[in-house]
Amino acid sequence: MKCENIKERMPDFLTGDLDKKAKSEFDAHVASCAACGEELRQLSEIWTKLGVLPMEQPSPALRNRFYTMLEAYKEGFGAEKAAAESKKKFSFSFGRIWPRQPAFQFAAALVFVVLGVTTGYLLRNPQARLSQLHQEVDSMRQIMAVSLMQQPSPSDRIQGASFSSQVKAPTQKTLDTLLQTLNNDPNVNVRLAAVDALYLFSSYPEVKDRVVQSLGKQESPLIQVALIDLLVGIREKRAVDAFKALIQNEKLNPDVKRKAELGIQQLSF
Amino acid sequence: MTDNLLMEDVRDGKVEKLAILFERHHVVLFNYFLRLTGNRPVSEDLVQEVFTRILKYRTTYRGEARYSVWMYKIARNAHIDFLRRQKETVPLEDQFEEAQSVDLVPEERVERQQEAALISRALKKLSPKKQEIILLSRFQNLKYREIAELMECPVGTVKGMVHRAVRELGDIYKQLSREACRHEM
Repeated sequence: MKCENIKERMPDFLTGDLDKKAKSEFDAHVASCAACGEELRQLSEIWTKLGVLPMEQPSPALRNRFYTMLEAYKEGFGAEKAAAESKKKFSFSFGRIWPRQPAFQFAAALVFVVLGVTTGYLLRNPQARLSQLHQEVDSMRQIMAVSLMQQPSPSDRIQGASFSSQVKAPTQKTLDTLLQTLNNDPNVNVRLAAVDALYLFSSYPEVKDRVVQSLGKQESPLIQVALIDLLVGIREKRAVDAFKALIQNEKLNPDVKRKAELGIQQLSF
Repeated sequence: MTDNLLMEDVRDGKVEKLAILFERHHVVLFNYFLRLTGNRPVSEDLVQEVFTRILKYRTTYRGEARYSVWMYKIARNAHIDFLRRQKETVPLEDQFEEAQSVDLVPEERVERQQEAALISRALKKLSPKKQEIILLSRFQNLKYREIAELMECPVGTVKGMVHRAVRELGDIYKQLSREACRHEM
């Protein structure tokens, strides 16, 4: 392979995009050609140095602005879509269904008047519209919470857990993500945020069961204490066995042990 | 769910799915603009502008290329429009005074910050086109063929530009390092 071909492939080398065969030919050439070897060394050095540029975080205001914009767009888009669809349907079907006989025309007009009044009543019912809007916001909040809890940054995951605590009716996915975060997240602060959010959803039987199971899996004293508080707080009597099992662990932190013993007493009343 | 499928949903009216795309991309996009403009508020404005344009032009999304390519096309246009409106920017090295790396001891952190400031100064001395090609290939996880699609030029041209830009960056960096050493002495 000529020096010219090697130089053409240097950008691929930098991004690791050379296949196995091309890589071995490339390596053989740069090992034997001093000029190409030196040029590659210089390019690689600066390419690697670029890695010191820090990954900056935008201010929280950016996220707020985005969601405000999205909500505003969604409201506007919803109204526009409804108007466009009703116009389209009306113009498309009206000519076909309109009867030719005057008597039938009168009857059809009457039906349309009744339909119009009913639809108008339903559309003007602010309670129904408000309820729909709340559902949409709730759903959007859950999408955002789940997405945030899967981010690499711990602060994003904490924010995700706290977002989920604002949800009124959590979906199965939101609950699963919170429980997975509680059991598997490597960061103790993120797991604590998940405990706080799960406390609000403790009326769900599945949450109670899985929080009790989670206690046996936790190793951090902070999380163990938070879970004991949660289970005592919701008066979950089935937790007594889990507390007893925890106490059996000889390596258990003494403070956690005291907390678990107190929890057994509190739940036994 | 892939970015392309999410964007197809956004295109088809499920605009709330844009929240997931925002969460996946806004930080890298912010850093792309920050490295180009050296200005945090401007970079945040540009990220917001990109997502506003995505909503505005969502019906034009075809899903033939990767979503990122389409998004960076919009990002490039937003940046070009910004350059037309405003020419002066805050020097990029000012941004790195705030940069912190929690895993490093203070001396290492200072050294790393100095190196970051130097490399960003070197980057700023390149032409906008060369800065852009380095940022797209090094940080934005785009393949050369995708950058070629983005810039509407052959892939060989992109590779040639990367080669020249990286070599020039290395030369500028060396020169700035020498100047910095002379300054310290």
